[in-house]
Amino acid sequence: MTDATTGEQQRGAAAEPAAPTPDDRTGAAPRPAFAHASEAEMARILDFYEVAWEYEPHTFPILWNLAGDVVESFSPDFYLPDLDLYLEMTTLRQRLVRKKNRKLRRLRELYPDLRVKLFYARDFRALMLKYGKLALVDALSGTPGQVTPERPAPPAVAEAPAPPPIRRAVGRRAAAPQRRSEVRR
Amino acid sequence: MSPARDLEADVGDVLLSEDQIQARVAELGAQVSADYAGGTLTLVSVLKGSLPFMADLMRAITVPVRIDLMEVSSYGGATTESSGLVRILKDLSASIQGEDVLIVEDIIDTGLTLNYLLRYLRGKNPASLRICTLLDKPARRLVDIPVDYTGFTIPDQFVVGYGLDYGELYRNLRFVGVLRPEVYAETA
Repeated sequence: MTDATTGEQQRGAAAEPAAPTPDDRTGAAPRPAFAHASEAEMARILDFYEVAWEYEPHTFPILWNLAGDVVESFSPDFYLPDLDLYLEMTTLRQRLVRKKNRKLRRLRELYPDLRVKLFYARDFRALMLKYGKLALVDALSGTPGQVTPERPAPPAVAEAPAPPPIRRAVGRRAAAPQRRSEVRR
Repeated sequence: MSPARDLEADVGDVLLSEDQIQARVAELGAQVSADYAGGTLTLVSVLKGSLPFMADLMRAITVPVRIDLMEVSSYGGATTESSGLVRILKDLSASIQGEDVLIVEDIIDTGLTLNYLLRYLRGKNPASLRICTLLDKPARRLVDIPVDYTGFTIPDQFVVGYGLDYGELYRNLRFVGVLRPEVYAETA
């Protein structure tokens, strides 16, 4: 997740190219610049099982000041359009997990129809164990998994004034927040 | 010959005893038989983990059954790096068009493999397509899968035995148990 309000991003030892690179498997659209190696690994898993995904496609305002300006927002890491599910990877320090949990609670209050799954470090570890890649866990999670190079600054979130919270009509999102990437298969 | 390994000693807690498993499989067999009474059912076992469950379940079902086997590559396996995509390693040996099909799984956790299989098998136009799993681990679910028959819902622990493996071992244990973390720590 990138904090679109503060521009807070995770950076560290490179595990995945930060700049978009051509997809050497399909030759199609370039892969996005993942903020963390665990996100890149998750993208590979989703690709493997042919689950369509978008990387940080939507930003949801979650806090406004009295003037109606957005002061905090939440951009889940993945959106799986076929499953109508958001996926947020949290393999970082406990302090950041607590912050993310708080933001997620706020997101769920404001957008109760959104389906969001938080993927903790223990979930990622279990996934790697299942796929026989446990040895890679330390390199892909936490601080070592953070990506060094600069990522493009996220777009400003909202000219949108105050709430009301976005609510979904029947089926897909009623009011789609800002889109930042294309669907990948 | 590689040195002998005490497989049972690698298991911490026994989650499901052989008796518990057999009793539940008998119940599932009776339930399936009632639901498909008067018809013929095709059981599709997803290799390799579901083999013991398939063998016991089919014998607990009283309606006529055909059986077939499928195997798909798993992420992280030997075929991952070459293609980057899931592959059918063993396809059905007969058409299922117009047939009532029951997928027999050992365990459902993320649901990613089964989600792929469901899409694949639906494309073969069965009359009906349902899922029977011995174990369900909902805490790990990424893809919501409609499961029609569940043997046991289990906690979020790494289990082996009764077909389930770690590094291709432990499948022949007659019970389901939790693998000691030090086992996979030392082999990681």
